[in-house]
Amino acid sequence: MKTSKYLKTIAFCTLLLAAALPGKAQVFPNTYINIDWQMGVPLGDDFADKASGWGMNFESGYFVTPAITVGPFISYQTNLQSIDRQTLDLGDGSSLTTNQKHALFQLPFGVTGRYNWLTDSVFQPYAGLKVGACYAEMSSYYYIVRQYTETWGFYLSPEVGVSIFPRPDYRLGFHVALYYSYATNSGDVLVYSVNNINNFGIRVGVSF
Amino acid sequence: MNVKQLRYIAFALVAAAFCSCQKDPSTSDLHRDYLVYTACDSGTDFSAIDTYFLPDSILVIGNSNRTEYWKDEDALQIIDVVENGMNNAGYTRTDEKTSANVGLQLSYVRKATYFVGYDNPCWWWYYPYYWAPGYWGDWAGWHYPYSVYYAYTAGSLLVEMVNLDADQTGNKKLPVIWDSFIGGLLTPDAELNLQRTVEGVEQAFVQSPYLNK
Repeated sequence: MKTSKYLKTIAFCTLLLAAALPGKAQVFPNTYINIDWQMGVPLGDDFADKASGWGMNFESGYFVTPAITVGPFISYQTNLQSIDRQTLDLGDGSSLTTNQKHALFQLPFGVTGRYNWLTDSVFQPYAGLKVGACYAEMSSYYYIVRQYTETWGFYLSPEVGVSIFPRPDYRLGFHVALYYSYATNSGDVLVYSVNNINNFGIRVGVSF
Repeated sequence: MNVKQLRYIAFALVAAAFCSCQKDPSTSDLHRDYLVYTACDSGTDFSAIDTYFLPDSILVIGNSNRTEYWKDEDALQIIDVVENGMNNAGYTRTDEKTSANVGLQLSYVRKATYFVGYDNPCWWWYYPYYWAPGYWGDWAGWHYPYSVYYAYTAGSLLVEMVNLDADQTGNKKLPVIWDSFIGGLLTPDAELNLQRTVEGVEQAFVQSPYLNK
Protein backbone atom coordinates (compact mmCIF):
# COMPACT_ATOMS: atom_id res chain seq x y z
CA MET A 1 0.00 0.00 0.00
CA LYS A 2 1.42 3.41 -1.02
CA THR A 3 0.22 5.20 2.08
CA SER A 4 2.08 2.69 4.18
CA LYS A 5 5.32 3.48 2.35
CA TYR A 6 4.83 7.22 2.79
CA LEU A 7 4.08 6.74 6.46
CA LYS A 8 7.18 4.69 6.99
CA THR A 9 9.29 7.24 5.16
CA ILE A 10 7.94 10.04 7.35
CA ALA A 11 8.53 8.02 10.50
CA PHE A 12 12.04 7.10 9.45
CA CYS A 13 12.98 10.70 8.65
CA THR A 14 11.59 11.78 12.01
CA LEU A 15 13.73 9.21 13.74
CA LEU A 16 16.86 10.31 11.91
CA LEU A 17 16.23 13.91 12.86
CA ALA A 18 15.68 12.97 16.48
CA ALA A 19 18.85 10.93 16.58
CA ALA A 20 21.01 13.48 14.84
CA LEU A 21 20.37 16.49 17.01
CA PRO A 22 21.90 17.25 20.42
CA GLY A 23 19.77 16.39 23.39
CA LYS A 24 19.17 19.91 24.58
CA ALA A 25 17.76 21.17 21.31
CA GLN A 26 14.34 20.71 19.81
CA VAL A 27 14.26 18.96 16.46
CA PHE A 28 13.03 22.21 14.96
CA PRO A 29 12.93 25.53 16.80
CA ASN A 30 9.57 26.29 18.42
CA THR A 31 8.09 22.98 17.41
CA TYR A 32 7.12 19.69 18.95
CA ILE A 33 6.91 16.21 17.43
CA ASN A 34 4.85 13.35 18.84
CA ILE A 35 5.03 9.68 17.98
CA ASP A 36 2.28 7.73 19.69
CA TRP A 37 0.93 4.27 19.98
CA GLN A 38 -2.82 4.48 19.64
CA MET A 39 -5.64 2.34 20.93
CA GLY A 40 -9.05 2.98 19.40
CA VAL A 41 -12.55 1.89 20.39
CA PRO A 42 -15.26 2.15 17.70
CA LEU A 43 -18.55 3.70 18.80
CA GLY A 44 -21.90 2.76 17.30
CA ASP A 45 -20.31 0.66 14.58
CA ASP A 46 -21.28 -2.94 14.07
CA PHE A 47 -18.87 -3.57 11.20
CA ALA A 48 -15.68 -3.92 13.22
CA ASP A 49 -16.51 -3.10 16.81
CA LYS A 50 -13.59 -4.53 18.75
CA ALA A 51 -11.16 -2.21 20.52
CA SER A 52 -7.75 -2.42 18.98
CA GLY A 53 -4.21 -1.33 19.67
CA TRP A 54 -3.24 -1.56 16.01
CA GLY A 55 -2.73 2.15 15.58
CA MET A 56 -0.14 4.90 15.57
CA ASN A 57 -0.24 8.68 15.52
CA PHE A 58 2.38 11.08 14.18
CA GLU A 59 2.06 14.79 14.56
CA SER A 60 4.01 17.97 14.78
CA GLY A 61 3.17 21.53 15.78
CA TYR A 62 4.68 24.97 15.56
CA PHE A 63 4.31 27.38 18.47
CA VAL A 64 2.60 30.32 16.78
CA THR A 65 2.25 31.81 20.26
CA PRO A 66 3.73 30.54 23.56
CA ALA A 67 0.48 28.64 24.12
CA ILE A 68 -0.89 27.79 20.68
CA THR A 69 0.55 25.23 18.26
CA VAL A 70 -0.50 24.35 14.74
CA GLY A 71 0.88 21.58 12.57
CA PRO A 72 0.27 18.44 10.50
CA PHE A 73 -0.77 15.01 11.70
CA ILE A 74 -1.31 11.54 10.28
CA SER A 75 -2.52 8.46 12.11
CA TYR A 76 -3.86 5.04 11.37
CA GLN A 77 -5.96 2.44 13.11
CA THR A 78 -7.28 -1.03 12.33
CA ASN A 79 -10.23 -2.56 14.14
CA LEU A 80 -11.30 -6.16 13.65
CA GLN A 81 -14.32 -8.32 14.32
CA SER A 82 -15.05 -12.01 13.85
CA ILE A 83 -18.45 -12.94 12.44
CA ASP A 84 -19.80 -16.42 12.98
CA ARG A 85 -21.31 -18.33 10.10
CA GLN A 86 -24.47 -16.73 8.81
CA THR A 87 -26.48 -16.59 5.60
CA LEU A 88 -26.40 -13.28 3.76
CA ASP A 89 -29.03 -12.34 1.19
CA LEU A 90 -27.00 -10.65 -1.55
CA GLY A 91 -30.04 -9.79 -3.65
CA ASP A 92 -31.27 -11.04 -7.03
CA GLY A 93 -31.54 -14.55 -5.66
CA SER A 94 -27.93 -14.80 -4.54
CA SER A 95 -27.08 -15.93 -1.02
CA LEU A 96 -23.85 -16.57 0.81
CA THR A 97 -23.38 -18.67 3.93
CA THR A 98 -19.99 -18.17 5.53
CA ASN A 99 -18.07 -17.00 8.55
CA GLN A 100 -16.09 -13.80 8.20
CA LYS A 101 -13.45 -11.49 9.61
CA HIS A 102 -14.14 -7.79 9.29
CA ALA A 103 -11.43 -5.15 9.27
CA LEU A 104 -11.89 -1.40 9.36
CA PHE A 105 -8.73 0.53 8.53
CA GLN A 106 -8.69 4.28 9.07
CA LEU A 107 -6.01 6.71 7.94
CA PRO A 108 -6.87 10.29 8.87
CA PHE A 109 -4.48 13.17 8.16
CA GLY A 110 -4.67 16.93 8.18
CA VAL A 111 -4.02 19.83 10.55
CA THR A 112 -3.89 19.75 14.32
CA GLY A 113 -4.12 22.71 16.66
CA ARG A 114 -3.53 22.85 20.39
CA TYR A 115 -3.84 25.22 23.28
CA ASN A 116 -1.10 24.41 25.80
CA TRP A 117 -0.85 25.31 29.47
CA LEU A 118 2.16 25.36 31.79
CA THR A 119 4.66 25.12 28.94
CA ASP A 120 7.63 25.56 31.29
CA SER A 121 6.68 22.80 33.70
CA VAL A 122 7.16 19.03 33.77
CA PHE A 123 3.46 18.37 33.10
CA GLN A 124 2.15 20.39 30.19
CA PRO A 125 -1.57 19.79 29.59
CA TYR A 126 -3.32 20.81 26.43
CA ALA A 127 -6.60 20.68 24.54
CA GLY A 128 -6.52 20.20 20.80
CA LEU A 129 -8.50 19.65 17.66
CA LYS A 130 -7.59 17.70 14.54
CA VAL A 131 -9.27 18.47 11.23
CA GLY A 132 -8.64 16.83 7.90
CA ALA A 133 -9.49 14.00 5.54
CA CYS A 134 -9.94 10.34 6.39
CA TYR A 135 -9.25 7.39 4.14
CA ALA A 136 -11.03 4.27 5.37
CA GLU A 137 -11.05 0.74 4.02
CA MET A 138 -13.77 -1.71 5.03
CA SER A 139 -12.88 -5.32 4.37
CA SER A 140 -14.63 -8.62 4.76
CA TYR A 141 -12.42 -11.69 4.72
CA TYR A 142 -14.13 -15.00 4.04
CA TYR A 143 -13.04 -18.29 2.50
CA ILE A 144 -10.07 -17.23 0.34
CA VAL A 145 -11.67 -13.92 -0.56
CA ARG A 146 -11.12 -10.37 0.66
CA GLN A 147 -13.97 -8.09 -0.39
CA TYR A 148 -13.46 -4.43 0.42
CA THR A 149 -14.46 -0.88 -0.32
CA GLU A 150 -12.38 2.28 -0.11
CA THR A 151 -13.91 5.49 1.18
CA TRP A 152 -12.96 9.09 1.87
CA GLY A 153 -14.51 11.45 4.37
CA PHE A 154 -14.09 14.57 6.45
CA TYR A 155 -12.35 14.06 9.78
CA LEU A 156 -12.75 15.89 13.10
CA SER A 157 -11.14 14.89 16.37
CA PRO A 158 -11.04 16.78 19.68
CA GLU A 159 -8.33 15.69 22.07
CA VAL A 160 -7.05 16.40 25.56
CA GLY A 161 -3.68 15.30 26.82
CA VAL A 162 -0.53 16.06 28.66
CA SER A 163 3.08 16.16 27.59
CA ILE A 164 5.48 15.13 30.32
CA PHE A 165 9.02 16.43 30.16
CA PRO A 166 11.20 15.20 33.04
CA ARG A 167 13.56 18.03 32.20
CA PRO A 168 11.62 20.75 30.38
CA ASP A 169 14.76 22.40 29.07
CA TYR A 170 15.57 19.26 27.05
CA ARG A 171 12.07 18.92 25.63
CA LEU A 172 12.26 15.18 25.36
CA GLY A 173 9.53 13.34 27.18
CA PHE A 174 6.29 11.42 27.10
CA HIS A 175 2.85 12.10 25.81
CA VAL A 176 -0.56 10.81 26.90
CA ALA A 177 -3.87 11.79 25.33
CA LEU A 178 -7.55 10.94 25.17
CA TYR A 179 -9.35 11.55 21.90
CA TYR A 180 -12.67 11.26 20.18
CA SER A 181 -12.89 11.17 16.39
CA TYR A 182 -15.66 11.52 13.86
CA ALA A 183 -15.33 10.85 10.15
CA THR A 184 -18.00 11.09 7.48
CA ASN A 185 -16.88 7.98 5.60
CA SER A 186 -19.67 5.78 4.30
CA GLY A 187 -19.51 2.54 2.36
CA ASP A 188 -20.98 -0.89 1.79
CA VAL A 189 -19.42 -4.35 1.86
CA LEU A 190 -21.60 -7.37 1.15
CA VAL A 191 -24.78 -6.59 3.12
CA TYR A 192 -23.04 -4.34 5.64
CA SER A 193 -23.17 -0.57 5.58
CA VAL A 194 -21.00 1.92 7.42
CA ASN A 195 -22.31 5.46 7.80
CA ASN A 196 -19.86 7.71 9.62
CA ILE A 197 -17.06 6.41 11.80
CA ASN A 198 -16.83 7.32 15.48
CA ASN A 199 -14.04 6.33 17.82
CA PHE A 200 -12.58 7.18 21.12
CA GLY A 201 -9.22 6.10 22.36
CA ILE A 202 -5.94 6.83 24.00
CA ARG A 203 -2.52 7.72 22.68
CA VAL A 204 0.71 7.08 24.52
CA GLY A 205 4.08 7.94 23.12
CA VAL A 206 7.08 10.19 23.10
CA SER A 207 7.31 13.91 22.54
CA PHE A 208 10.29 15.98 21.54
CA MET B 1 15.43 8.47 32.41
CA ASN B 2 17.90 10.24 30.18
CA VAL B 3 17.78 11.53 26.65
CA LYS B 4 19.44 8.41 25.29
CA GLN B 5 16.77 6.18 26.76
CA LEU B 6 14.05 8.36 25.34
CA ARG B 7 15.62 8.01 21.93
CA TYR B 8 15.50 4.25 22.31
CA ILE B 9 11.79 4.48 23.05
CA ALA B 10 11.30 6.66 20.00
CA PHE B 11 13.14 4.10 17.94
CA ALA B 12 10.94 1.32 19.26
CA LEU B 13 7.79 3.24 18.42
CA VAL B 14 8.98 3.96 14.92
CA ALA B 15 9.88 0.29 14.50
CA ALA B 16 6.36 -0.61 15.60
CA ALA B 17 4.99 1.79 13.01
CA PHE B 18 6.99 0.05 10.32
CA CYS B 19 5.40 -3.30 10.93
CA SER B 20 1.86 -2.43 11.92
CA CYS B 21 0.40 0.12 9.54
CA GLN B 22 -2.50 -1.98 8.33
CA LYS B 23 -3.36 -5.06 10.31
CA ASP B 24 -4.77 -7.97 8.34
CA PRO B 25 -6.77 -10.37 10.47
CA SER B 26 -5.69 -13.95 10.86
CA THR B 27 -7.70 -15.98 8.37
CA SER B 28 -6.59 -19.42 9.49
CA ASP B 29 -9.74 -20.05 11.49
CA LEU B 30 -11.92 -19.14 8.52
CA HIS B 31 -11.07 -22.56 7.13
CA ARG B 32 -12.69 -24.27 10.10
CA ASP B 33 -16.04 -23.84 8.44
CA TYR B 34 -17.51 -24.32 4.99
CA LEU B 35 -18.92 -21.73 2.60
CA VAL B 36 -22.06 -22.00 0.50
CA TYR B 37 -22.78 -19.57 -2.30
CA THR B 38 -25.89 -19.83 -4.45
CA ALA B 39 -27.11 -17.70 -7.32
CA CYS B 40 -29.88 -17.98 -9.86
CA ASP B 41 -31.36 -16.49 -12.98
CA SER B 42 -34.08 -14.18 -11.69
CA GLY B 43 -35.85 -14.51 -15.03
CA THR B 44 -36.48 -18.23 -14.59
CA ASP B 45 -39.79 -19.48 -13.20
CA PHE B 46 -38.56 -22.35 -11.06
CA SER B 47 -42.11 -23.36 -10.16
CA ALA B 48 -42.68 -24.27 -13.80
CA ILE B 49 -40.04 -26.99 -13.68
CA ASP B 50 -41.39 -30.52 -13.42
CA THR B 51 -38.59 -32.97 -14.04
CA TYR B 52 -34.84 -33.07 -13.65
CA PHE B 53 -32.05 -35.33 -14.76
CA LEU B 54 -29.25 -36.10 -12.33
CA PRO B 55 -26.17 -38.08 -13.45
CA ASP B 56 -25.00 -40.89 -11.17
CA SER B 57 -21.47 -39.58 -10.80
CA ILE B 58 -19.54 -36.44 -9.94
CA LEU B 59 -17.04 -35.02 -12.35
CA VAL B 60 -13.61 -34.51 -10.81
CA ILE B 61 -11.52 -31.50 -11.75
CA GLY B 62 -7.92 -32.29 -11.02
CA ASN B 63 -4.70 -32.52 -12.91
CA SER B 64 -5.58 -35.56 -14.95
CA ASN B 65 -5.43 -35.32 -18.71
CA ARG B 66 -8.59 -37.34 -19.09
CA THR B 67 -12.10 -37.10 -17.78
CA GLU B 68 -12.47 -38.44 -14.24
CA TYR B 69 -15.67 -39.29 -12.45
CA TRP B 70 -16.22 -39.86 -8.77
CA LYS B 71 -18.59 -42.81 -8.31
CA ASP B 72 -17.92 -44.42 -4.93
CA GLU B 73 -20.26 -44.55 -1.94
CA ASP B 74 -19.32 -41.07 -0.81
CA ALA B 75 -20.16 -39.66 -4.23
CA LEU B 76 -23.47 -41.48 -4.24
CA GLN B 77 -24.27 -40.10 -0.78
CA ILE B 78 -23.69 -36.56 -2.06
CA ILE B 79 -25.83 -37.23 -5.13
CA ASP B 80 -28.57 -38.59 -2.84
CA VAL B 81 -28.56 -35.35 -0.88
CA VAL B 82 -28.99 -33.38 -4.11
CA GLU B 83 -31.81 -35.69 -5.14
CA ASN B 84 -33.51 -35.26 -1.76
CA GLY B 85 -33.21 -31.50 -2.06
CA MET B 86 -34.81 -31.51 -5.50
CA ASN B 87 -37.52 -33.96 -4.52
CA ASN B 88 -38.36 -31.97 -1.39
CA ALA B 89 -38.67 -28.91 -3.62
CA GLY B 90 -41.37 -30.76 -5.54
CA TYR B 91 -39.42 -31.78 -8.63
CA THR B 92 -39.38 -35.28 -10.11
CA ARG B 93 -36.25 -37.12 -11.12
CA THR B 94 -36.33 -38.77 -14.50
CA ASP B 95 -33.97 -41.20 -16.17
CA GLU B 96 -34.68 -39.73 -19.57
CA LYS B 97 -32.27 -36.92 -20.21
CA THR B 98 -34.10 -35.78 -23.32
CA SER B 99 -37.41 -35.37 -21.53
CA ALA B 100 -36.11 -33.54 -18.43
CA ASN B 101 -36.79 -29.85 -17.99
CA VAL B 102 -33.48 -29.26 -16.25
CA GLY B 103 -30.24 -31.10 -15.69
CA LEU B 104 -27.98 -31.05 -12.67
CA GLN B 105 -24.24 -31.46 -12.99
CA LEU B 106 -21.99 -31.95 -10.00
CA SER B 107 -18.29 -31.19 -10.12
CA TYR B 108 -15.68 -31.57 -7.42
CA VAL B 109 -12.59 -29.40 -7.67
CA ARG B 110 -9.70 -31.49 -6.42
CA LYS B 111 -6.58 -29.68 -7.54
CA ALA B 112 -7.42 -26.55 -9.43
CA THR B 113 -7.81 -22.89 -8.53
CA TYR B 114 -9.70 -20.46 -10.70
CA PHE B 115 -11.41 -17.17 -10.33
CA VAL B 116 -14.73 -16.78 -12.06
CA GLY B 117 -16.18 -13.42 -13.00
CA TYR B 118 -19.20 -12.46 -14.99
CA ASP B 119 -16.99 -11.07 -17.72
CA ASN B 120 -15.05 -14.31 -17.88
CA PRO B 121 -17.49 -17.01 -16.90
CA CYS B 122 -16.13 -19.79 -19.09
CA TRP B 123 -13.48 -20.98 -16.68
CA TRP B 124 -13.84 -24.52 -17.95
CA TRP B 125 -12.16 -23.40 -21.15
CA TYR B 126 -8.97 -23.94 -19.22
CA TYR B 127 -10.04 -27.39 -18.17
CA PRO B 128 -10.54 -29.64 -21.19
CA TYR B 129 -12.64 -32.28 -19.52
CA TYR B 130 -15.40 -30.31 -17.84
CA TRP B 131 -19.06 -31.17 -18.44
CA ALA B 132 -19.30 -30.67 -22.17
CA PRO B 133 -22.38 -28.84 -23.45
CA GLY B 134 -22.79 -31.77 -25.81
CA TYR B 135 -23.52 -33.99 -22.83
CA TRP B 136 -26.90 -32.28 -22.59
CA GLY B 137 -27.67 -31.62 -26.25
CA ASP B 138 -26.69 -29.64 -29.28
CA TRP B 139 -25.63 -26.41 -27.61
CA ALA B 140 -22.72 -24.28 -28.71
CA GLY B 141 -21.46 -23.51 -25.23
CA TRP B 142 -22.45 -22.25 -21.82
CA HIS B 143 -24.12 -19.14 -20.58
CA TYR B 144 -24.78 -17.55 -17.19
CA PRO B 145 -27.75 -15.20 -17.55
CA TYR B 146 -26.83 -13.53 -14.24
CA SER B 147 -23.79 -12.09 -12.50
CA VAL B 148 -21.28 -14.55 -11.14
CA TYR B 149 -18.28 -13.58 -9.05
CA TYR B 150 -16.48 -16.11 -6.95
CA ALA B 151 -13.38 -18.20 -6.70
CA TYR B 152 -12.86 -21.91 -7.00
CA THR B 153 -10.14 -23.68 -5.11
CA ALA B 154 -9.23 -27.22 -4.32
CA GLY B 155 -11.84 -28.79 -2.07
CA SER B 156 -14.93 -27.29 -3.68
CA LEU B 157 -18.17 -28.77 -4.95
CA LEU B 158 -20.20 -27.17 -7.71
CA VAL B 159 -23.81 -27.99 -8.34
CA GLU B 160 -25.20 -26.40 -11.48
CA MET B 161 -28.69 -26.54 -12.92
CA VAL B 162 -28.95 -26.18 -16.67
CA ASN B 163 -32.13 -25.40 -18.58
CA LEU B 164 -32.68 -28.25 -21.01
CA ASP B 165 -35.82 -26.59 -22.37
CA ALA B 166 -33.72 -23.77 -23.78
CA ASP B 167 -33.55 -23.25 -27.51
CA GLN B 168 -30.77 -25.36 -29.07
CA THR B 169 -31.06 -24.15 -32.60
CA GLY B 170 -28.65 -21.76 -34.22
CA ASN B 171 -25.65 -22.40 -31.99
CA LYS B 172 -27.43 -21.19 -28.85
CA LYS B 173 -25.68 -21.49 -25.52
CA LEU B 174 -26.98 -23.67 -22.73
CA PRO B 175 -28.10 -21.43 -19.83
CA VAL B 176 -27.08 -22.24 -16.26
CA ILE B 177 -30.11 -21.10 -14.29
CA TRP B 178 -28.97 -21.99 -10.77
CA ASP B 179 -25.61 -22.74 -9.31
CA SER B 180 -24.24 -23.61 -5.94
CA PHE B 181 -20.64 -23.39 -4.87
CA ILE B 182 -19.56 -25.11 -1.67
CA GLY B 183 -16.03 -24.48 -0.43
CA GLY B 184 -13.90 -25.58 2.48
CA LEU B 185 -14.14 -29.32 1.85
CA LEU B 186 -10.46 -30.17 1.89
CA THR B 187 -9.51 -30.89 5.48
CA PRO B 188 -7.20 -33.82 6.30
CA ASP B 189 -10.23 -35.67 7.67
CA ALA B 190 -12.14 -37.38 4.84
CA GLU B 191 -15.13 -38.06 7.08
CA LEU B 192 -15.34 -34.41 8.04
CA ASN B 193 -15.08 -33.42 4.38
CA LEU B 194 -18.03 -35.64 3.53
CA GLN B 195 -20.04 -34.33 6.48
CA ARG B 196 -19.34 -30.74 5.42
CA THR B 197 -20.26 -31.54 1.84
CA VAL B 198 -23.58 -33.05 2.85
CA GLU B 199 -24.36 -30.10 5.14
CA GLY B 200 -23.27 -27.70 2.42
CA VAL B 201 -25.57 -29.23 -0.20
CA GLU B 202 -28.47 -29.18 2.26
CA GLN B 203 -27.71 -25.55 3.05
CA ALA B 204 -27.65 -24.73 -0.67
CA PHE B 205 -31.29 -25.80 -0.94
CA VAL B 206 -32.24 -24.08 2.32
CA GLN B 207 -30.93 -20.73 1.07
CA SER B 208 -32.59 -21.16 -2.34
CA PRO B 209 -36.28 -21.07 -1.40
CA TYR B 210 -37.25 -20.19 -4.98
CA LEU B 211 -36.46 -23.83 -5.88
CA ASN B 212 -40.02 -24.82 -5.17
CA LYS B 213 -42.62 -26.48 -7.32
